[in-house]
Amino acid sequence: MAILAQPSADGQELHISIQGRFDFGAHQEFRNAYERVEVTPKRYVVDLRDTTYLDSSALGMLLLLRDYAGGDRADIRLINCNADVRKILAISNFEQLFSIA
Amino acid sequence: MDNRLTVLIAEDSPADRMLLSTIVSRQGHRVLTAANGLEAVALFQQEQPQLVLMDALMPVMDGFEAARRIKQLAGQTLIPIIFLTSLTESEALARCLEAGGDDFLAKPYNREILDAKIKAMNRLRLLQATVLEQRDLIARHNEHLLTEQRVAKAVFDKVAHSGCLNAPNIRYLQSPYALFNGDLLLAAFKPSGGMHVLLGDFTGHGLPAAIGAMPLAEVFYSMTAKGFGMTDILREMNAKLKRILPVGVFCCAALLNLSFQRRVLEVWNGGLPDGYLRRSMDGHLQPLVSRHLPLGILDESAFNPACEAYPLQQGDRIFLLSDGVLETSNAEGELFGEQRLCELLLANRQPTSLFAEIQQALADFHGQSKDDLSLLEVEWVDEARLQRPALSLAGSGGSTLHDWNVQFEFRAESLRHYNPLPFLLQLLLEVQPLRARAGQLYTVLAELYSNALEHGVLGLDSRLKRDAEGFARYYQARSAGLASLTEGYVRVLFEVRSAAQGGGCLRVQVEDSGSGLSEQLAHPPAQAQDALSGRGLALVRKLADACHWQAAQRCLSVEFHWPAQA
Amino acid sequence: MAAEHLEGSVLATLRDVMENEYPVLLDTFIVDSEERLRGLQQGLEGADAQALRLAAHSFKGSCSNMGASLLAGLCKQLEDCARREQLEQAPALVEQIAREFAIVRILLKSERQRYAN
Repeated sequence: MAILAQPSADGQELHISIQGRFDFGAHQEFRNAYERVEVTPKRYVVDLRDTTYLDSSALGMLLLLRDYAGGDRADIRLINCNADVRKILAISNFEQLFSIA
Repeated sequence: MDNRLTVLIAEDSPADRMLLSTIVSRQGHRVLTAANGLEAVALFQQEQPQLVLMDALMPVMDGFEAARRIKQLAGQTLIPIIFLTSLTESEALARCLEAGGDDFLAKPYNREILDAKIKAMNRLRLLQATVLEQRDLIARHNEHLLTEQRVAKAVFDKVAHSGCLNAPNIRYLQSPYALFNGDLLLAAFKPSGGMHVLLGDFTGHGLPAAIGAMPLAEVFYSMTAKGFGMTDILREMNAKLKRILPVGVFCCAALLNLSFQRRVLEVWNGGLPDGYLRRSMDGHLQPLVSRHLPLGILDESAFNPACEAYPLQQGDRIFLLSDGVLETSNAEGELFGEQRLCELLLANRQPTSLFAEIQQALADFHGQSKDDLSLLEVEWVDEARLQRPALSLAGSGGSTLHDWNVQFEFRAESLRHYNPLPFLLQLLLEVQPLRARAGQLYTVLAELYSNALEHGVLGLDSRLKRDAEGFARYYQARSAGLASLTEGYVRVLFEVRSAAQGGGCLRVQVEDSGSGLSEQLAHPPAQAQDALSGRGLALVRKLADACHWQAAQRCLSVEFHWPAQA
Repeated sequence: MAAEHLEGSVLATLRDVMENEYPVLLDTFIVDSEERLRGLQQGLEGADAQALRLAAHSFKGSCSNMGASLLAGLCKQLEDCARREQLEQAPALVEQIAREFAIVRILLKSERQRYAN
């Protein structure tokens, strides 16, 4: 499991990509990814292309990010979701809170 | 680290004993000497040395026997024993090891080797002591944790099992400590008959996951007992969890409302895997899909308690499950999955053994039980089969209200957001003789109120409910109508009078701003009793002691009588 | 001193280890060895192979500690015979041990004189 956070050139967007299992074990690293960046991005992109597994703790972590990014005003996109990940997000109806692609 | 040890030397040759004890004490250790095995064992018991140098062949008791006894006395504490012997005989060496020897020292003695061996053995001894200490610490912590869990479970069982999970129409599978993985199963009878059932699955594991279960259960039971409907209960549960849980912790849940008299199942699913309604008639599976975010995420204003409604028939079965069921994995890492579950549900020809079949399939698939797995089956049965406990509603005891009347008018704003039934029931239960009939009262009130609201105010046609599809449309129209309601009212009149010869009477009248009841509906023909529509009023007539058609107000006047107190 | 009877380097180490107690160690060894020699002779008379073996084993150990390597070697031969329960050579070996001990004893006594307190 590895989490990489990359701000865009203009600092407006933070790209967080999650490799491997996205579960409770990723808790601290995921928080560090958005809390320990120099920039204050307006938008967040969570890239799940290389995410093999996602559990309910991961959903909780996404909610924490959403809260950190301003709650209802947060602009967070979850991209490159595979079928399994998409299914878990769908069961929890997370499309009501995040834009999912 | 303390390097100064008490060393026991057992050696029968006085010269060797003297030499060895001088070497060892010059190295800074305290020395005890014994000339044979028996003396050595006695000294060991008396002085508790930390290390033993033991000659193998000695008179009275040899070194092998002495070593065995010392190892036994030491128990789990490591007392290293170094045998003093020449390393020539492999058979003798084997005997030394069997007797519990940890190392050998050959004659002639060499100071440097002896020093190195004592140090090495001491490191081993301290390592073992640390391991034992930590093991005991872990054991104590674990003991402590288990005690806490037992206490927590006992407290929780009192709350969780105050309901009716043991009703004959409910089967469930849940490991005893599933609670500590955040799974929660609740069921309770409603005052009107019928039941509420909830399956919840909190995020995370361990105590943090279980912590939200208590308030959730409290809300579920207390509001169900007071006659609140699903919508109110869901709003309250969501609001409460949102208030108390940290961001990122939430509860995937499905709530069922089974109305036995109205033959309706209402479902709200937020975040649990699809549940299923399995029809007894043709085995058809209706998925009960998650349409909402889990409880505890959204603010009150954004929360949506909208339910889906399905008509029910005798023998229909409802299944709810936590993701632990689908994620049960076998030795090859394969998941049990939806497909297998659906196949079981579809293939079954003997519905009474269906639950056991699923249980068996899970066990066969996995081989051992998982700790975060919850599976629930509720069967729709004739209510007479369910033994309901007497309603125990807190009241003011002996004194009672005797002679009064009161009228409420609930207008559009209230009708949209408020369910007045719990409030009305609480009021009537102030009349002590009515308490024994709380369930009947609630049912009658609920029927009259929903008639007035749905047909009178909203103008819905209950004939829609004749088939399953129309049924769904009816409930959609009801939600839509309520949401856009701007005018109209429902009036509820209560009148309580004492009878001349003791005893008394309650009269209930529910009017609406719409067309009211048709006289024909108020007096339903006998054959209407089994149709999906019109059953409500038939039920009212059955439960009440008297019913009169009030032509002027186009409504029913319903009476409950009670005799003089003995 | 003839090294095959008593190794000087071993004695030097013992002096170093025992310091003031060195003469006491020598005395103790001499007294104990006389005792052990009697034990060997008794074992021989009783034709008790097991007793002979244990006595030879113990004596061998102390001899090696004192640097009496020839004596230790003879004890080992006796121990081996006794283990195999072949006592034919035992009388001759005990006789040899007694003679060798007499030499070692003299050497130790003179050592004792040299380092007397």
